[in-house]
Amino acid sequence: MSDEHGKLAVKSAPYYGGKLEIVPKIPVKSLEDFSVWYTPGVAAVSKAISENRELSFEYTWRWNTIAVVTNGSRVLGLGDIGPEAALPVMEGKSLIFKFLGGVDAFPICLNVKDPQKFVEVVKSLEPGLGGINLEDISSPDCFYILDRLRQQMSIPVWHDDQLGTAAATTAALINALKLTNRKLNKVSIVLYGAGAANIATARLLEKAGADITKMILVDTKGILHSEREDMDELMLKHPWKYELALKTNRAKLSGQLPDALEGADVLIAASTPGPDRIKKDWIQRMVQNPVVFLLANPVPEMWPWEAKEAGAAVVATGRSDFPNQVNNSLVFPAVFRGALDVKARAITDTMALRAAQALAEYVSDEKLHPDHIIPTMDEWEVYIHVAASVAEQARDENVARNPLNYDEEFVRAKKIIQRSRKLLMSLMDQHFIKPLPKVD
Amino acid sequence: MTELVFRKAEEKDIPRLVELNIRLKRLNEEFDPLFKTRDDIAETSKKYFAEAIKSPNSVVIVAENSGRVVGFLKADIVERLFYHPKIEGKIVEFYLLPEYRRKKHGAELLDYAVKMLKDRVEIITAEFPSLNEIAVEFYTRLGFRGIVSIYARES
Repeated sequence: MSDEHGKLAVKSAPYYGGKLEIVPKIPVKSLEDFSVWYTPGVAAVSKAISENRELSFEYTWRWNTIAVVTNGSRVLGLGDIGPEAALPVMEGKSLIFKFLGGVDAFPICLNVKDPQKFVEVVKSLEPGLGGINLEDISSPDCFYILDRLRQQMSIPVWHDDQLGTAAATTAALINALKLTNRKLNKVSIVLYGAGAANIATARLLEKAGADITKMILVDTKGILHSEREDMDELMLKHPWKYELALKTNRAKLSGQLPDALEGADVLIAASTPGPDRIKKDWIQRMVQNPVVFLLANPVPEMWPWEAKEAGAAVVATGRSDFPNQVNNSLVFPAVFRGALDVKARAITDTMALRAAQALAEYVSDEKLHPDHIIPTMDEWEVYIHVAASVAEQARDENVARNPLNYDEEFVRAKKIIQRSRKLLMSLMDQHFIKPLPKVD
Repeated sequence: MTELVFRKAEEKDIPRLVELNIRLKRLNEEFDPLFKTRDDIAETSKKYFAEAIKSPNSVVIVAENSGRVVGFLKADIVERLFYHPKIEGKIVEFYLLPEYRRKKHGAELLDYAVKMLKDRVEIITAEFPSLNEIAVEFYTRLGFRGIVSIYARES
């Protein structure tokens, strides 16, 4: 983050009073119209829904509305800063949902730390919403919360720090492997950092066909393996990492990151901000032309040019000012667009995988290049393609209440996303949205 | 599926038994701070197993995978002074490395121990930290029930 961005954000926050507001979408010409939109007219709508609750997806905003829910326990790289301080981030997320996916999202910041209680609260929100986007919840609570809510809710539940990152990473990896003539089921992958992102990525890559027995996870204690000293502790405190310790690293390699990188094809680092967390000579221990993802923000684990100098054939980071930004924002607006349009009961791992594949496919063979393995946010049609793929996958998996095929959702998503963008433009044109304030 | 071999522990197994015992006690530590392991746990374990292996009133069994010890069980034979059944085979230590769990190896190891003790004891018991729900589930599934509770506080 540059200082300028921060300065402008702090100045704008009170200037606009946050980033979102709720605007009606029905005509109101006189107060009499309220007899239709509100009582007594609205009673007929309520009655219809009470007879068939599924109608709530058509007769109300539910078809397009999700909550961005957090307890502020792990916000960006800022740590446990609390639910109030998380609100601007959730507003920003909601803004991206609307602008890129046409999804009506609003923040819910909960003063609830206990994961079981958190699950109960979020579960109770179901009747009024089309979906839940969990955000910025500390690990490992986030795994428990996501797993439980996915089991217990009949609307899509997504935790972007897990699934969004995993899908974007998988998309980038699919194309990086294509460029370097490798097959996913053959490569050895080292995941550096075992937080929400990399644990979810390991799980999704396994679904995508990667050989999990060859995967190696490295965390702050070194290489994870089934006989590491803290395994019993992990079994009780972090069963998700424990499961991966049992499934990955069949060779039971121990040691630190440089040992793990010996002869590896792929490094996916999602650890702590760099630079200088990863040394050039560690990259040199990998096979020839390795794939190196350095996803820590705001500063990657090593500078991308250093990785290139050390021999990396393809390098990606989490930053927009370097080539190949592995960016959740390419995923979540489109995934929810597709899921909401088919009134999906869930977003399954295979739907997330399909999103990743669609994202990768969007980079045509002509455009595929070591500096372009993943689309950028300004290629806005990518969202339509991903949404349509996700919708179709939901239909194929029988989780769609309103099944649509690719073409049907393509048309629908395009219309909704275009409208959303035009709406914002027109609010700006008509000065309902003021130009940015000046920063000295 | 991996087949484990069970046999009586010998002196050569002591270093590995010490290692696994430390893991077991560290696991217990997770359940209650009153199970905080002592700094001299390695030396104490070494003595403990050296004695147990020789003692006629203890049984130490190891589980091996391709010649490598991956788990163990220790039971003591004690007399119940006031009750029937009179002779008790008391499982006091039980540990299997994570990758051998949830594959019925635990039940096999227990079974092997029970067979060894069968002619000498009339009742089999097992002790473990109260909050170890995995152990509760394991023994309950195999037909055990709780008969004694130990409550503790720091004096």
